[in-house]
Amino acid sequence: MNTIEQQLWEYIDGTLDEAAKKALEEKIASDPEIKAQYEGLLKLNSVLGTLDLDEPSMSFTRNVMESIALEPAPVALKTKVNTQIIYAIGGFFVLSLLGILGYIFYQAKAGFAGFNLPEKLNINLDSYITPTTLYVFLFVDLVIGLIFLDQFLRRKVHK
Amino acid sequence: MEQKLTDLELIQNILAGEPAQYALLVKRHQRFVFTLALRFSKNREDAEEIAQDCFVKAYKALATFKQTSKFSTWLYTITYTTAMTFLRKKRLDTDSIHNEETFVQLENQTSSFNANDYEKLDSHTFLNQAIGQLMPDDAAIITLFYKGEQSLEEIGETLHMEPNTIKVKLHRARQRLKEKLQYLLKDEVKELL
Repeated sequence: MNTIEQQLWEYIDGTLDEAAKKALEEKIASDPEIKAQYEGLLKLNSVLGTLDLDEPSMSFTRNVMESIALEPAPVALKTKVNTQIIYAIGGFFVLSLLGILGYIFYQAKAGFAGFNLPEKLNINLDSYITPTTLYVFLFVDLVIGLIFLDQFLRRKVHK
Repeated sequence: MEQKLTDLELIQNILAGEPAQYALLVKRHQRFVFTLALRFSKNREDAEEIAQDCFVKAYKALATFKQTSKFSTWLYTITYTTAMTFLRKKRLDTDSIHNEETFVQLENQTSSFNANDYEKLDSHTFLNQAIGQLMPDDAAIITLFYKGEQSLEEIGETLHMEPNTIKVKLHRARQRLKEKLQYLLKDEVKELL
């Protein structure tokens, strides 16, 4: 149960619910002691509202600006973490992993006795995975990487 | 017609490559940050160090500020954590000399007022003295509530507490403040307030 003083503060702050507010208003009107208490708190509340803030030294802003002058300028996270770059890096790694995985499967000598692939699916990968295709794959990755790097640097220059 | 930029607009300009505009943000909030730091440290020199550190930290982390809440709430949270770290460090240093609680000592220091001096002072001075004698958390809650234009929820966010806890703490803080004023002013409390 709230004390009368707590209720009075809640009434002054405007956080009391309607029913409690009405009941308290009646008490304030009928009880001179509560009324005096309410008026005292109201006065304290208004004085608290007019409190002055303390002033730091005259050189405060200058000191802060001197301290931050040594810090790197803050940059919006949006600029810092470009989603396209993240996707490009992610794509590069996914492609690389798929390439490696494909190569491992190709190299693996796993087999099932008595199991033969249908004639149509029996592809000879030897003819596809050659040093040339690997070089082409790496070259494409490199070009994609350079394109994104170029875009990133252009955006930085424009800012 | 020149319009005053909002906090969020200033932050966007700073992040877009105009760090000099941070001075405007500092000027706008320095008094409150300093007062809040003073509520915790009870010492102008330390408060200035905390406030300065707070603004440098805020600058470094400005890109991480989620622009969905008020900048002031975010800044006061940094002030609170900076002040706590500062006091913890200071208390460790003090403890190595003698094991007494810093706040108790500070309370004793500020309560050494001479009753004759009060006549010269106005209600604001008394109030500031009384707030100075409160525990740091109580003083900070009162300052945030009355001068920081912060709701109970926002104060809770700043001090890492539930809004209901803040409500109870605010009530107790005001009660303690009233007691301090009564002690400081004796019978004059009714005339001044």
